[in-house]
Amino acid sequence: MIRVDNLAKSFHDKKRGIVHALDHVSFDVKAGEIFGLLGPNGAGKTTCLRLLATILKPTEGTAEVGGADIVRSPEAVRRQIGFLSGDMGIPARLTPREVLAFFGKLNGLEGEKLRRRIDEMVETFEISDFANTKTDKLSTGMKQKVAIARTVLHDPPVLILDEPSSGLDVPTARLIENFMLRAKESGKCILFSTHVMEEAEYLCDRIGVVHQGKLKALGTMDELRERTGKHRLREIFLDLLEIAELAQGARK
Amino acid sequence: MNLKTSAAVYQKEMLEIFRDRRTMISMVVVPLLAIPLLFSLINGFMTSREKEAQGEALTVGVLGEDKLPTVIEALKAAGFRPIAKADLRAAVEKKEVAAAVEETEDATGEKYVNVYIDRTRQASEIAGDKIETALEKLKTDTVRASLRGSGLPEKILTPFTTKNVNVASEKKMSGLVFGSALGYVVILLMFTGAMYPAIDMTAGEKERRTLEAVLASPAGRNEIVLGKIAATATAAFITALLTLGSMAYSFRFSPQAASTRETLHMAPPDMGSLVLVMVTVIPTAIVAASLMVAIALFAKSYKEGMSYLTPIVMLAAFPAVVGMLPGLELTPALALIPIFNVCQLIKEIFLGEFSRVAYAVAFGANLVYAAIGFFVASKLFKSESVLFRV
Repeated sequence: MIRVDNLAKSFHDKKRGIVHALDHVSFDVKAGEIFGLLGPNGAGKTTCLRLLATILKPTEGTAEVGGADIVRSPEAVRRQIGFLSGDMGIPARLTPREVLAFFGKLNGLEGEKLRRRIDEMVETFEISDFANTKTDKLSTGMKQKVAIARTVLHDPPVLILDEPSSGLDVPTARLIENFMLRAKESGKCILFSTHVMEEAEYLCDRIGVVHQGKLKALGTMDELRERTGKHRLREIFLDLLEIAELAQGARK
Repeated sequence: MNLKTSAAVYQKEMLEIFRDRRTMISMVVVPLLAIPLLFSLINGFMTSREKEAQGEALTVGVLGEDKLPTVIEALKAAGFRPIAKADLRAAVEKKEVAAAVEETEDATGEKYVNVYIDRTRQASEIAGDKIETALEKLKTDTVRASLRGSGLPEKILTPFTTKNVNVASEKKMSGLVFGSALGYVVILLMFTGAMYPAIDMTAGEKERRTLEAVLASPAGRNEIVLGKIAATATAAFITALLTLGSMAYSFRFSPQAASTRETLHMAPPDMGSLVLVMVTVIPTAIVAASLMVAIALFAKSYKEGMSYLTPIVMLAAFPAVVGMLPGLELTPALALIPIFNVCQLIKEIFLGEFSRVAYAVAFGANLVYAAIGFFVASKLFKSESVLFRV
């Protein structure tokens, strides 16, 4: 479903000069798989996800999402994805129903089909009690439910989730985890980034570790354990970063 | 381009506009309440100041009641209250009296009556004019008395009388006053009305982090921009509509305006002109919207957006002020100047004498500027450095 091929993104920064935010990264994610992208702050995770969501354009390389090329057919890509970021807001002056109606229309849903789908989302994510309350009056957990409903409203085959549980309390983070597991069961292709090692260990079929724009390691938990000789993902992750930094020091 | 997507964006933005307190204040409250209230307050203040000045204008300084008895008698007859002062110039300067009179004589023995006034004070100006009228009457009466003895007819003093006849219709008089002020007020409020929505749906969305989800949807960037500009232009147009309606209503029905209309022989603005003015401002509303959306896109936050757009509102007021100047006529060349052209057209529509060619040129030019504004805003909306400026 997702095939990333030598994808690179660099930009010019006044202080730092040319910055290689993503440096020729390649991987793929299949249908019914949860792929976790791990890395410290500024590693290039968000850039990678934004490139796949066609919000940014790559400097080099390309990627395919559901068979559509992110450079040549960005709109076809966007039709197949549901994009959610942990720090993404929802329009504060609209009610959840209005938010869902708006995003439904942007995704080409209309009339009876849109109404039916909104009702389904309201029921599935238990939104009905506050479906007609303006979102600025809702708690973080309620808002997150609305954000998830908005992401899957058009039933996209691919989900791109950028630190979806960032800053959430345990029950709300659990909501996200359950949502991802349900989506996996229904055959969706899920690519997500996170800082929470336990979450990645619990959810991911495969993990990619990104550091300074490069993909440093890629594999299942067992493959990563074998490579590093460590058991918990936290140790594996730190070990991989250490190796990457040592290698960089040696090159210098 | 999928217009259904633009319509969805437009609908969502309009919902947000109608639920945003700041926008509603600038779009509805200011035109409907603040403008009539402001006009009424200014009118009331000016009337009371004038009354006060009229009362104060009746004091006149003299060196002594025994000096210049005929002049003092004439001033008393005209309603003045003479007050004896040693230094007449200083008395006027210190506002002890509104004006002062004294008689002087030159080397040839010719007599002069000097009237001291302070032109920076309204009361002093009024007193000066009244004294001049009273002394003119005294002069005529003196000559008339001398003529009576000589047997000559008094008529030789006034061989003819001049009389100004105003050929301007009441509609034209109304256009001169109403049209000049209206263009400026409408433009200024229209830009203010567009400012808050433009910031809210660009920099505000960036700040609230709601833009990214829209960018990751299948909606094209042009479609999103079209929806946002259309919503901002609607807010600008509603502001113009309410301003025009509110001013026309005040001008037609308020008691202060009625007395002004009567004094200046003005007819209230007619419905035809009001409708034509509303059509005329449509392209300018779109220009204001696209310009403001494009500029506000650069801002990272609502606050930053405000600091970018406030100078634009002031800048827009300049051509509007020039449009208020009397004597300017809208030639086809001048009709190309944005904002100025619409102010001038508003004035000429109310005067009932606009040129169809100039109207067409101005309308067409404003549509072209609106299209350029949309093009620039769309370009910026596709720019990563503008959307993700960190």
